[in-house]
Amino acid sequence: MKTQTLQRIPAPRPRMPDEGRLAQAWLLAYLASVVGVTFVHEPAWLAAALAMAVAAAGTSRWRLLRRTVLAVLAFNLAVSAGYVLVAWWQGGYSGRYLLMINLRVVLLVFLGFWFISRVNVLRALAFSRTLAFVATLAVGQIGTFKRIIRNFRLAFVSRNPVRASLASRGRHAAAQAGHLLDKSVCGAADTAMAMRSRGCFDD
Amino acid sequence: MHIPDGFLSPQTYLPAYGVAAAAWYWAARGLRQSLDEQTVPKLAAMTALAYGLGLIMVPIPGGTSGHALGVAMLALLFGPRLAFLSYSLVLLLQSLLFGAGGITALPVNALAMGLLGAWSAVGAYRVLHNVSDALAVAAAAWLSVMVSGLAVALVLGAQPLVAHGPDGAPLFFPFGFSIVLPAVLLPHALIGVGEALLTLFVWRFARKRNWCPA
Repeated sequence: MKTQTLQRIPAPRPRMPDEGRLAQAWLLAYLASVVGVTFVHEPAWLAAALAMAVAAAGTSRWRLLRRTVLAVLAFNLAVSAGYVLVAWWQGGYSGRYLLMINLRVVLLVFLGFWFISRVNVLRALAFSRTLAFVATLAVGQIGTFKRIIRNFRLAFVSRNPVRASLASRGRHAAAQAGHLLDKSVCGAADTAMAMRSRGCFDD
Repeated sequence: MHIPDGFLSPQTYLPAYGVAAAAWYWAARGLRQSLDEQTVPKLAAMTALAYGLGLIMVPIPGGTSGHALGVAMLALLFGPRLAFLSYSLVLLLQSLLFGAGGITALPVNALAMGLLGAWSAVGAYRVLHNVSDALAVAAAAWLSVMVSGLAVALVLGAQPLVAHGPDGAPLFFPFGFSIVLPAVLLPHALIGVGEALLTLFVWRFARKRNWCPA
C-alpha cells in the first residue's frame, strides 16, 4: 500500500564546488567524442584516435585497454567471423571494413571505460535528481547481489566435497534466488527509510 | 540482444535519440507520484536483477548477443512506464560499467527492449490473464523477448541499406535482414522459454509477499 509520496529528491552533493560541474563537462566531452567517432570511416584515422586516447589515458592505459579488449572480444569475433564467412560465401570481402569496424568498436568502448575511470557516474548523472536517485539505489542493489551470490556459491562449494547433482544445484539456485530478492528488497527498504529520515519523502 | 557501440550509423542512432527522449519524457511524467517508499525498494531490487540477467550473454554470429531481459517482470510488477525507465537505466549502467551495449546504441536498445518489450509483455498479460495467470505471465515474458529481438534485428538489418560506402560496402553492421533476422530470433525463441520460467518464478515470489502487481 502506498503511504508516502516522493516529492523532493536531493541530488548527490559534490565534495568540492566544481566537482559536479567537472563530471558533467567530462560527460559532455565523452558524448561529443563518441558521436564524432561514428562519423569517421577511415581505419587510419580511427587507429590514430585510439593511439591518442590510449596515450592520454595515463598510467591506467594498459589496464583499460585490456578491459576493453576483453569486453569486445567475444562480440567482435562473432561479427568478424560471421562477416568473413558470409563474404567468402557471397563474395565482397573487405579487409578494410573489418579493420574499421573493429577499431571503431575498440575506440568507443575504450573511451567509455576511460570516462568511467575518471568520473563518478552517479555524480555525472546529478543533473537529474530522479535519475541520480534511482541509479544510486540500483548500484547499491548490484553490490548487494554480488556479495550474496559470492557467499552462497562459497557456502555451496564448502558443503559439497564432490560435484553436486543437478537436482541439488536446482534447489540451491531456487533458494539463492528467493533469498537474493528478499535480502535485496530489505536492503533497498533500509535505504529508502534512511532517505526518508533525511527528508527525501515528503510527509 | 544488446547492440554494441559502433554497429549503428548516426543516421540511425541520432533520430533514435529523439524518439527515445520523447519516450523518456512521457515515462518520467508523474514519476515522483508513482515512486514511494513501498515501491522504490522493490523497483531497485528488480532493476538490479534485470541488470544481472542482461550481463549473462552469449555471442550470436550474424546477430549480436543472446540474453534474458527481465523487462517483462519489471513491466508486470510496475507497469510499462517504470519498466521502460528502469530498463533504460540498466542499459546505461551496463554500457558504462561493462561495455555491454553502448552509448550510441542506448536509444535503440532502450526502445526495443525497454519500451516494446514492456508493452508487449503487458499486452500479452492483459489478453491472456483470464485464461490462466501462469500462462499469461509466461507468454508475456516470451513475447517480450521475441518482440525486442525482432526490433533489434530490424534495426541491425537495415544498417547496410542506411549506411554504406560508394562501393556499396557496409560502414556499420554488415548483415542484412536475411541473415540477422533468423540469427537473432531463433536463439531468442529458446532464451524466451528461460525468461518465461524466470519471470513466473519472480511473479509467484511477488504474489506470496503481497506486492501490488500493475
